[in-house]
Amino acid sequence: MSDADAFLRVTDVSKWYGDEQVLEDVSFEMDRGDVTVLIGPSGSGKSTMLRCVNRLAEAQEGSITLDGEEVLSPDTDVDELRREVGMVFQSFNLFAHLTATGNVALGPRRVLGLSEDGARDRAAAQLERVGLGDQLDSYPAELSGGQQQRVGIARALAMEPKLMLFDEPTSALDPELIGEVLEVMRGLVDEGMTMLVVTHEMSFARAVADEIVFLDDGRVVERGPPEQLFERPEKERTGRFLERIASHD
Amino acid sequence: MSAAGSLALAASGSLGALASGAVSAAAHPAASAVWLVGEGADWGFVLRNADYLAGGALLTVGLTAASILLGFLVGFPAGAVEVYGGGLPKRLVGGAGVVLRGTPIVVILLVMYFVIGVPQVNLGVASISPAVSAGILGLGLRSAAYQSQIFRATLASVDDGQLEAGRSVGLSRFEAIRYVVVPQALRRSIPGFQNEFTIVLKDTSIVFAIGLAELLTRGADLFTQRTTAVLEVILFISAIYFVLTFATNRALDYLGTRYAIPEGESV
Repeated sequence: MSDADAFLRVTDVSKWYGDEQVLEDVSFEMDRGDVTVLIGPSGSGKSTMLRCVNRLAEAQEGSITLDGEEVLSPDTDVDELRREVGMVFQSFNLFAHLTATGNVALGPRRVLGLSEDGARDRAAAQLERVGLGDQLDSYPAELSGGQQQRVGIARALAMEPKLMLFDEPTSALDPELIGEVLEVMRGLVDEGMTMLVVTHEMSFARAVADEIVFLDDGRVVERGPPEQLFERPEKERTGRFLERIASHD
Repeated sequence: MSAAGSLALAASGSLGALASGAVSAAAHPAASAVWLVGEGADWGFVLRNADYLAGGALLTVGLTAASILLGFLVGFPAGAVEVYGGGLPKRLVGGAGVVLRGTPIVVILLVMYFVIGVPQVNLGVASISPAVSAGILGLGLRSAAYQSQIFRATLASVDDGQLEAGRSVGLSRFEAIRYVVVPQALRRSIPGFQNEFTIVLKDTSIVFAIGLAELLTRGADLFTQRTTAVLEVILFISAIYFVLTFATNRALDYLGTRYAIPEGESV
């Protein structure tokens, strides 16, 4: 790869569920340290696009390169890929039978091969990082939604990923719990984490994104820096979507 | 008809081979509950044969333990194949389960003993007779067929997001199932497993069909010898069954509580 090449490059990715096309020639790219936010109406394919990057969903056409390596190649070791790409889920998906520490330590222990103690130490440090140093032994059901999602973030961070994927991380949260999760995410932005985020939190997107990609009907309608996309959208559809979102804010 | 007589007839229904003994038992005159503790009661007969019954109980416990264990070792993977497998393995396992669940246990035992002819198994310290190994194999495989459905249901009941989250940190599919799904599924399997254990325990009595004298068969042997003590014998062995099921179910309850996943109030 050349140095000028993007860290993550998505090129003409298409995907079908049966006869229904859910992604159509989606392309965008991001550099190391970039924050890219995918926005769009529900059913527009944002989450599917995100999941294609760590192959939780399989794109049928196109190319995704991460650090110069083709992600979509049949030769790609998906477990290796996912080791390097952290994922945060809308519904948290914390391991229900494990404590916060257990949730965060599982990957380091079983995937990275750290010792039991080493994995616990790493888990504790990551939970500290998301402000949950006092909840190490709590089970998911004992935590609030915002705390659960922060454990989810710590779990992904514990693998020391080079890219973090956020799939609507605050959509399942009560409004008063959204702030603490966004705050943790802002902290990651400040640390220079490369982040690809699907969200409906427009003020967050506006504040932290380097680029916004607006998807509708599985296609990229428009993309650009937030100030341009939010203030002077080129496409009428973008404007209409943003207005609709704003009226719900 | 007296209570003792109708009980004996009920017993003869399930143990057809012993019908002749039951007919004479029906002649017992006493009918009231007082009879159980009064002068007419014959608990001495039961106590004198306690060793004989204990030997039967031992066989019952051994058959149950071995069959449940075999059922778990075969049934758990079988349930997993039905949930996660595909193609031929899934069809084979599914088909075998349907056949085993659809065949009367007596037929399964007769096939194991007379058709397949399980040989004597030598374990060094003890040797297991062909009939006992056929009993374990028959009861165990049938239990596997039922246990596979317990585990199939509980494995499938764990949310897909759990598996996905496991994969998202780089666990292989097998590892994600092993470390994330299985521990949750096993916890949810305890109630179904309690049922299955109780059923296997009581169904061990059917090994009389291949000539084994476990607890219930030995009890029947006794009351056909002494038809004046039918109810005493039946109550005594029922009590043993009750203690065994009660103790094991409580132990499994404890296991369930001990490993319960804590639930908070703020979900």
